[in-house]
Amino acid sequence: MSDSITINIKSSGDSKYEVTISPSQTVLELKNEVAAKADVPADRQRLIYSGKVLKDNEVISTYKIQSGHTVHLVKSAAAKPAPATSSTTSTSTPSATTTTSGNNGVPSNISSGSGAFNPLADLTGARYAGYTQLPSASMFGPDGGMNNAMPDPEQMSQMMSNPMFQESMNSLLSNPQMLDYMIQQSPQLRAMGPQAREMLQSPFFRQMLSNPDMMRSMMQMSGGLGGAGAPPSFPAPGSNPTVGENDSTTEGTNTPAANPFASMFGGQGAGGAGGFPPIDPFALFGGQGGNTPVETDNRPPEERYESQLSQLNDMGFFDFDRNVAALRRSGGNVQGAVEYLLSE
Amino acid sequence: MSSKRINKELADLGRDPPSSCSAGPVGDDLYHWQASIMGPADSPYAGGVFFLSIHFPTDYPFKPPKIAFTTKIYHPNINGNGNICLDILKDQWSPALTISKVLLSICSLLTDANPDDPLVPEIAHIYKSDRAKYEATAKEWTKKYAV
Repeated sequence: MSDSITINIKSSGDSKYEVTISPSQTVLELKNEVAAKADVPADRQRLIYSGKVLKDNEVISTYKIQSGHTVHLVKSAAAKPAPATSSTTSTSTPSATTTTSGNNGVPSNISSGSGAFNPLADLTGARYAGYTQLPSASMFGPDGGMNNAMPDPEQMSQMMSNPMFQESMNSLLSNPQMLDYMIQQSPQLRAMGPQAREMLQSPFFRQMLSNPDMMRSMMQMSGGLGGAGAPPSFPAPGSNPTVGENDSTTEGTNTPAANPFASMFGGQGAGGAGGFPPIDPFALFGGQGGNTPVETDNRPPEERYESQLSQLNDMGFFDFDRNVAALRRSGGNVQGAVEYLLSE
Repeated sequence: MSSKRINKELADLGRDPPSSCSAGPVGDDLYHWQASIMGPADSPYAGGVFFLSIHFPTDYPFKPPKIAFTTKIYHPNINGNGNICLDILKDQWSPALTISKVLLSICSLLTDANPDDPLVPEIAHIYKSDRAKYEATAKEWTKKYAV
């Protein structure tokens, strides 16, 4: 990085200068360059970039100033403290400032905050490299599992009993961030509060996932009920001995549906219309739990996304066509649409 | 999501910052910035450089950033801890606002204080009853802490 960069110097009096300098030079050398153009002696300059005052003995690259970027110039009093006068620029040393830890660069691994955190991204990450047994895309159907077709029970239980799959399942469930994410994504889980986390972390719950027999019997029950068109695809935990241990979390039949897995693959939660809390592990792969008919909305976009579009307008996105396209991609989710709009 | 938006604001600020403010991350944490505001020429803060700390919430821009002065300043709407009484940092926040716009609002707050909604009632009282004394004190503080 020895190529020289061009920095714009903006001074308080609206004057602008251009300085070309190598990033390996020091700030003091930059000040001397500026002094030649701005008629302000180097020791009376305060250069500010990115909210920081540049220190004389630092190298310019410390501050990661990029070519074409602007540095502010403020005239200050000479370094020698003079007795107080009524002039607005006087006394005190110019170097009294905050830290200059230097690294004001942008981290390359952008992932902080619940919004940006997507634990499922891990599945394609290096941690799972070489793991070839992930369910194939065809298993979820052309629309990612949002259709009504359930995966083949045999195939499913085979997958679930695969130790590799169990292991990744376990590591996902023991990752607190993952849990937060799941809970956050699912309104039902959010409504359950801390209990949801407890339930997801309980060993029984994980065992339930890893026991092929249990899976098979649940699969059959689910299939039967779902086929009959009953709203709850699975009996309430309170009345089912196989999930009896979850009683404490879902006591009283009208508690919100506890369907942690629906959230994992982006489902809407299993059809909780009956007010019964179905624990439906298959929603994990089926999004809608295989019993809610997929609604197709044929209304025009300005009607369908009316409230979202006005929100986007409030945020300063005025391009109607782009907004609609973004909302289509995000399925009507404003946050997702904004992300898409900004990433373009 | 929020990191993308913050990165975009950072890029915009680097390329074309407002004439009197600048801001950027303190270290590697994209959610913690520092900013500087040059005292407006037509105010008693002229000649001073005031530093601020900015903390972005994880759900930024849907929630406002937390901004406070780290340089002491004598102003009816800014208290001893550097907290700023500004509606757009509270209930009037909008996701369409950016750090650059907020810093400019703070600049104009320095030029035109709002003594009717004060954070420091004593300063507001002096501001209203003895403007010359207020300006002298503000200049004094600027010289002491911000030059």
